[in-house]
Amino acid sequence: MLKIDNLHVAVGDNKVLNGLTLEIPTGEVHAIMGPNGSGKSTLAHVLAGRPGYTVTAGSVTLDGKDLLGLEPEERAHEGVFLGFQYPVEIPGVNNVYLLKAAFNAARKHRGLPEVDAFEFLTLVREKMKLMKMDESFLSRGVNEGFSGGEKKRNEILQMLVLEPKLAVLDETDSGLDIDALKVVSNGVNTLRSPDRSVVLVTHYQRLLDYVVPDHVHVLVRGKIARSGDKNLALELEKRGYDWVTDEAA
Amino acid sequence: MSASQATTKVASAPASPLTARIATEFAEAQATGGPSRQSALRALLEQGLPTSRDENWKYVNLRPLEKVRFVPPSASGPPRPAISVGDLPAAVGKSRYVYVDGVFDTSLSTPTALPGVTVATWAAAGEVRASVLPGVANAAGAKAVAVTGSAAAHDSALHGDLRFALLNEAFATDGAQIHVARGTDCAICVELVFIATTDAKAGASYPRINFKVDANARVGLIERHISIGSDANFINCAVDVEVARDASVQHYRVQQTGARALWFDTLTAKLAENAKYQVHMVNLGALSARSTVHVKHLGERAEVGVFGASVGGKNQVHDTFALVEHIAPNARTDQSFRGIAGGRSRIAFNGMVVVRKGAHGTDSSQSLRGLLAGTDAEIDVRPQLEIYTDDVKCNHGATAGKLDDNMLFYLLSRGLDRDTALRLLKWAFLEDVVSKIAVPELRQQIEESLASRLEAPLPKGAPHAAYGQAGDGFPRVDGEPAKPAQKENF
Repeated sequence: MLKIDNLHVAVGDNKVLNGLTLEIPTGEVHAIMGPNGSGKSTLAHVLAGRPGYTVTAGSVTLDGKDLLGLEPEERAHEGVFLGFQYPVEIPGVNNVYLLKAAFNAARKHRGLPEVDAFEFLTLVREKMKLMKMDESFLSRGVNEGFSGGEKKRNEILQMLVLEPKLAVLDETDSGLDIDALKVVSNGVNTLRSPDRSVVLVTHYQRLLDYVVPDHVHVLVRGKIARSGDKNLALELEKRGYDWVTDEAA
Repeated sequence: MSASQATTKVASAPASPLTARIATEFAEAQATGGPSRQSALRALLEQGLPTSRDENWKYVNLRPLEKVRFVPPSASGPPRPAISVGDLPAAVGKSRYVYVDGVFDTSLSTPTALPGVTVATWAAAGEVRASVLPGVANAAGAKAVAVTGSAAAHDSALHGDLRFALLNEAFATDGAQIHVARGTDCAICVELVFIATTDAKAGASYPRINFKVDANARVGLIERHISIGSDANFINCAVDVEVARDASVQHYRVQQTGARALWFDTLTAKLAENAKYQVHMVNLGALSARSTVHVKHLGERAEVGVFGASVGGKNQVHDTFALVEHIAPNARTDQSFRGIAGGRSRIAFNGMVVVRKGAHGTDSSQSLRGLLAGTDAEIDVRPQLEIYTDDVKCNHGATAGKLDDNMLFYLLSRGLDRDTALRLLKWAFLEDVVSKIAVPELRQQIEESLASRLEAPLPKGAPHAAYGQAGDGFPRVDGEPAKPAQKENF
């Protein structure tokens, strides 16, 4: 279970999260929605340990383990995965190399031996099929020259390979056409299991037609302003965010 | 232009204690002196060696020259380390020639007769020695000054940068004279290994190459510089390359001399019509390494690639000055440099492209990038363009900075530990240039050297090798043949 308690986060002098409290039980999918600037992406980054954010109060634990004291790579080893809104291009490091290094880093942390190249390729090919990715993606530089949709598929491919305990997907639906949205959603749904939790950060209800959340939360000015089931997302789609924002004021 | 005209253009250096000593040492070593040596010395005495006050020499520390003995080591000097073939890097290429302190060593060499390729040492060439001063066919008399002066016809500041070649011309006692006959195809052909063993106080090492490629030939040359023993060598290398029309040359140069070595290097190349020349320069070793490169596009549609990769640590200095001169029209230049400066090292790349009057249709691009990996390290990347004609396309870009925080966080968020992530990013930084090395065995050796310079081995497999290629750590895909990582441009 992911437990966020009274989380306050600042970026420089700017207070972005102001006492956010949220529990995501293992096995559930929660959507975090909210208007621009409400703190959604900040929450995603803080969970993954991105530098540049100052936690001024509160706590975050994953299965009882304090996440905030861990380095980003240690959080990854604990099973945290961040799907980037803007995946980074790293020319010169090929995709399959990163995938394998990440996969083996996680295994090493669990005291398991590294898998050999053949075994690993078999695994990756299967996941790539699911993401409808061509094998040529493996030898390309990480996200190098990928279209927006390809980058997002690549994020989900990494997630499928790493099988995290907690997947935080930051606007994974943005910039996707309807076919790509289906592929990406299918990837996320494949990962749904009683053993893991998923946090979907999104602006739009559209993604939630394909990945149906157990709970929907609306973030306003760095706090959860309203929570509900998937119908809340539908209502937001119809009425916009203003009524929640007004209520929260 | 006559010699006298040329010399009037050059600001005469006042006689310095250094040049005075060079003259004395030269007089001592006169046994093998010939007219070309004499004229080279005269030119050197007139002009002096560069100093840090010279604009193109400000990054390299020239003070250690004061302690150098400029004559090659003599048999009566201090004992030199015994060398066996096992001390050398694994051979790449069909035919290897090894030089110890500038002199050909039969016992370490494995020359093979290759059709169309002649490699002659001085012993074999007799008195017919090619000069390393550009344009001098068989260095005779005063021509040396006249020819160095001919660069001065365009710009007196440029020709002075070749002065270390004069020192080589005056003192070298051996060299490799390589001739490739018309139409020869020998992609991974001759490998030259220059080993320095002597301390600068006891004598200097003068590697020297004349590389003449006739029309329509296609050839690869590998040139390595290493040290054996831990002495502070003084190495002063001179290379002269001529590529005839429609010929294509890949020239790989790997500098891995010892941690205390001073390495000076002057390379001149002349390209005829439609000639293609790619020079790959990998700088890893030496306390202080300086390369001066001067390429001239003399024929229309000639193409040159000057690719440099440099990794420095501790208090190393790597300085390259690469000048490409477009004289003929419609020629192309590609300069790419990637340097990583760690520790307190300093890495400089000064890339200059000059487009002369009449060189219309020039197409030139420069991409010079430096990465600061040490808190007290320094990067100086400097693209320069001088254009004296219309209708040219010249791009240039230069960056110097630290590793990208977004890239680092991305890798960390995938669970890679910090050290691995940093090494991987440094590795990736060099990729543009290293991937151009089209000889797989050589590239693998260089990658291994780079990995060890980046402080610890990377996880298995090469991070940028195309997947499905030898050395990537992955099995072949369903028996498909491995694809080359990078197609040659020509």
